[in-house]
This record gives sequence, structure tokens and C-alpha cells, in this order.
Amino acid sequence: MSVLIDIVLAILAVYLALQSLMAPRLSQSVFLFFAFGLALALTWIRLGAVDVGIAEAAIAAGFLGVLLIDALRDFSPAVSEKQEGADGTSADRSTKDTKSRLLPSLALGLGLGLFLLIAVEAIWHTPKGGGLTALSEAMLAESGVEHPVTAVLLNYRGYDTWLEIGVILMGLLAIFVAGGVEVYRKPRVLVRDPLLRQVILFFTPVLFLFGAFLLYYGKSGPGGAFQAAVLWGATGILLHLGGWPVFAVIPRWLRQLLLTLGLGFFLLLGFAFMAGGAALFEYPPAQAGVLILIVEALAALSIATALAAIFAYFNQMKDEPNEIESTT
Amino acid sequence: MEPYQIYGLASAVLFVIGIAGLFAARHFLKKIIATNIMGGGVFLCFVSFAQRDALAFADPVPHAMVITGIVVAVSSAAFALALTRRINQLTGEESFPNDK
Repeated sequence: MSVLIDIVLAILAVYLALQSLMAPRLSQSVFLFFAFGLALALTWIRLGAVDVGIAEAAIAAGFLGVLLIDALRDFSPAVSEKQEGADGTSADRSTKDTKSRLLPSLALGLGLGLFLLIAVEAIWHTPKGGGLTALSEAMLAESGVEHPVTAVLLNYRGYDTWLEIGVILMGLLAIFVAGGVEVYRKPRVLVRDPLLRQVILFFTPVLFLFGAFLLYYGKSGPGGAFQAAVLWGATGILLHLGGWPVFAVIPRWLRQLLLTLGLGFFLLLGFAFMAGGAALFEYPPAQAGVLILIVEALAALSIATALAAIFAYFNQMKDEPNEIESTT
Repeated sequence: MEPYQIYGLASAVLFVIGIAGLFAARHFLKKIIATNIMGGGVFLCFVSFAQRDALAFADPVPHAMVITGIVVAVSSAAFALALTRRINQLTGEESFPNDK
């Protein structure tokens, strides 16, 4: 019975991925991708990776979905439809064009089919055993937390997590460089719906508390800095959409401080214990629990700020009418 | 058939769908979605292998790496989206010129 659920879920994920790439309209593509992310999140839970499930649903499906939907405003559906019509069906394509495309697509299909066979073969025959489950379970008492995934993220492999916070910051800076918006402004369109504003005001503290709960609960169960960060970031996005552009109105120095706090504190802590003779990002076992909680809280704050900043920035890319004239 | 085998096979199929979409799709947004589907395939492969070696709990190291990977993938996708929208604002293009 449970195998049946797994088979249906696997087929659903593959089907949604296929449909999302073959859908004729761009908006359909984006929403099917959203659904694909949620199907994958269910898959993680079936595989016993609840942390990954929360992260997938919140970041990969939720946050990326929001950015994609925001990007849809730039691409008019009419143009996309015309374009898809031109390349989707081969009806209006000239025979010469078809011939020139036949060989590459044949080669691509053959190569991918071969790759699929090899990959399936490799997955089928990978021997059991190995893995780091036993080792990470044995060291759990010294790590300061009770949940193995949090122990790996914040203690055993702290270096990875530190770099990951850095990647988010780098991504934000790269978007600032590439996007062409110079300053954050208050959005011109004010939300006039009183019901929406009240609902958002009502949910803001609830979301914030739930994020804090996930952060604290990460110590002993699924949850942690990234899941909490996305909830806090989502609160920022909701407030922005409701007419309170939090990220745009707080002063510049505070924005910079919030964005770099997580990365900076993590690194300072690592260096501080290095001075005492420990390895980089090695904590003394007695205080590890408290230190991990502080690092997680600051990292979550930084990531949440970065996510809200990326959304606020994306939201302004469309609302800059004189921007294009000044650069071309 | 164990669950990890089913999902392992699905991960290979997802990766191939992603590559095929990356080559076949014209529109920038679809290419970005295709790379994310490829990433989903790789993550699924990781997590299904973690389940294979499960004792009291599944191997936490691949789980942590996949969480890290998801966040990095989303950051790079957001950067790609910013580039795409900027290209579209400046030139009005929605796909690569040699890809029409």
C-alpha cells in the first residue's frame, strides 16, 4: 500500500515537471513549477527528510514561485503565446528549419536516453552500507543539539552553512548589480483594500511567532534557521504587498547591519574559538547548545532580511519607468 | 521494491527532463525552471540514498547538504531572474537571439 503511494507521488512529480516545461502559456509553466515543488516536498517527507520538506516547500516552491510570478509581469502573455506557437508546433515552421533542427534534437534525445539508462543502472546497483548515520548519531551528545540534521548544519559542517549564508548575501549583491534599480523607494501603488491590510496585520505576529518556534524547535526536531528565516522573510513580503514596505523605509545602515549580521557573527565566533586552539567553527561542547541557538537566530534574521530585500528589489524592477530611458 | 529505489529512478527521470527542457525551451523563464527541475532531480537522488542507509534515522549529512543546496539553487535562480528581467527591459528579448 505504501509502495503505491510512493509510485503515485514519483509519477506525479515527473508529470508535473514535464507539464511545467511543455505548457503552452508562461503562466501555466510557472504555476505547474510551483505545484512540482510542493509534490517534491511531499516526496521528502515520504523519504523521512522533514527538514528538507519544509525548506523545499518554503524556499524552492514558495519564495522562488513568488519571484517567478513577479517576473511574469515583465513578459506579456500575448508575446509569449505567439512565440510558443512558433516553436511549440512545427506547423508554421519551414521545412529547411525543421531539417536543421532534426539532427541536434535527435542527438540530444539519443544522448539523454543513454544517460538515463546509465543513471538507472548506477542507482539500481549502488551497494548498501556506508553513509555517516552511525557516526553522526554517536557524536550527537557532544553537538549541543538533539536533532541530527541541525547538528550537521550548525556543528559538524558549520563551514558549509557559513558559506551558504555568504552565498545568499552574494546573490543579493549580484542582483543589486545586475538589476538596474538604484534606490529603494516606497511603491507608488497604495493598497486600498482595508480587509487585506487588516488580515496581514493580524497574521504578522502569528507568522513571526511561528518562525521563532521553528527556530527554537530545530534543536530537537525538524526546523531550524532556514525554515524560520523563510517565514520571517514571508512576513516581510506580505507587509510589502500590504503597503508597508518595511525594507524600503528602514535606514540604510540598519539594512546593511541586518544583512551582514548572521555571516559576521558566525565568522567572529569561529575565529574567537580558533584563538583558543580549536578548529574553525568548533564549539566547546558545554556551551554548544546556546551558541548554536544564537548563531541560528542571527543567521535567520540575516537570511529573512535578504529574502525580503530580493523581493522588494524585484517588485521595483517593473515600477521604474524612467529608468530604462536613462540607461539606453 | 523499496521507496528509495522508486524515488531514485524518478530522480534520474527528473534530471533528464530538466536537461531536455534546458535545451528545448526557448523562453528565459522556462530555461530557469528547467535548471531548477534538474536540481530537484539531483536532490531527490541524494535524499533517496540517505534513506537507503537509514538506521534509527536517515543519514542526516545528505539532508543537510540538500537544505544547503536548495538555498543556493534559489539564490542563483533569483540572480538569473534578475538578469533575465534586466535583459528584457533593455532589449525586449525573451529568448537568446540564436535560439529563435
